[in-house]
Amino acid sequence: MMVMIAPEHFLSFLSDQGFSLASGVPCSYFKDTFTSLEESTEIYYIPSTREDEAVGIICGYFLGGQVGFLILQNSGLATIGDALTSLAQLYKIPLLMFVSYRGLEPDADFPEHLVMGDVTEDVLSAYQIPYWILEEENWKSILHQAISVMNDSSLPVCVLVKKGVLSQ
Amino acid sequence: MKGAEVIQKLDEYLTGKELIVSSNGNVSRQVYTLLPQPQVYLRGSMGLPVSIGLGLALSQPKKKVIVITGDGNFLMGLSSIATVGSVQPPNLRILVIDNETYATTGCQETVSSALNYVEMVKGMGIKSVVSIDLTKEKEIPSDLFDKFVIKEELQVLHIRVEIDDINLENIPWHPIEIKENFLNR
Ligand SMILES: Cc1ncc(C[n+]2csc(CCOP(=O)(O)OP(=O)(O)O)c2C)c(N)n1
Repeated sequence: MMVMIAPEHFLSFLSDQGFSLASGVPCSYFKDTFTSLEESTEIYYIPSTREDEAVGIICGYFLGGQVGFLILQNSGLATIGDALTSLAQLYKIPLLMFVSYRGLEPDADFPEHLVMGDVTEDVLSAYQIPYWILEEENWKSILHQAISVMNDSSLPVCVLVKKGVLSQ
Repeated sequence: MKGAEVIQKLDEYLTGKELIVSSNGNVSRQVYTLLPQPQVYLRGSMGLPVSIGLGLALSQPKKKVIVITGDGNFLMGLSSIATVGSVQPPNLRILVIDNETYATTGCQETVSSALNYVEMVKGMGIKSVVSIDLTKEKEIPSDLFDKFVIKEELQVLHIRVEIDDINLENIPWHPIEIKENFLNR
């Protein structure tokens, strides 16, 4: 078993990359990440009531000249379709999204995630959103790639997070 | 009084430095036509003007951010009022132009007429909220916008208006241009 990415290293990496705001709705795959976010002094965290609201918050933050990131469960991908297509993609607003990849083998007992788990990558492809799967090894280089594609294209990109990678 | 007249009147109280986010449809077209440019004119993302205004207010704490939204947009993103009530950004204010309809798509009814905006918004943690019915008025009380624009306090101003009968042209800027013009202001 690989060792998970320490949440404080993960957040300070993002802070070093210029991210100063996070918003989204929790998933247990991000439990430790959210604990660290709530305590973080470098990254301000706003618990959002819905994932599309978090897209709005991060996009507004960008329009004011600062950068934030989004954190959500893949179920929330189904909530943000219009926010992506008619806001972030339409206005070309860079957006880094961390999306938990529920519905794979470890979620066999969670039928509520199975359909979305099956279609998650298809949904991202259909929305023309470049995505990466986060790994404990090389995690910084994966994030560097995602961030550089986001900046070069000025568009949303997604990092999928499987069980155990960011939280026990 | 109609929504466009309210927006036109607001112009007299603006310094030009305020950052404005307007909801999709008629409201954005009116804001584009009647208020100083450039602003964040939303073309889509119905329901999100308040959340975008919140992000903008946090990003630019020294500037006043005014969200101008139709009731349909406001109600679709109503839970963002709870988030705003929790964050309490003092530089954010929200103007609800309530014509009780989705006017842009042909004046279908919203659920707005059943609601008490003062109780609803106060219950979500925003202390300064004014609700006023101008459907039968020709003038706006002079102190209404004074306080709304000048006071350094999170505020919601809900105005009931008559439905607009004018239909403005589409905003000629592509959304990418809207963003770039706004970022360069
Ligand atoms: C998600 C979504 N559903 C429906 C629409 C179609 N639509 C465009 S504007 C609008 C009405 C907006 O109503 P309101 O905010 O009250 O403004 P008004 O049109 O009354 O000025 C609707 C339903 C849309 N753009 N997006």
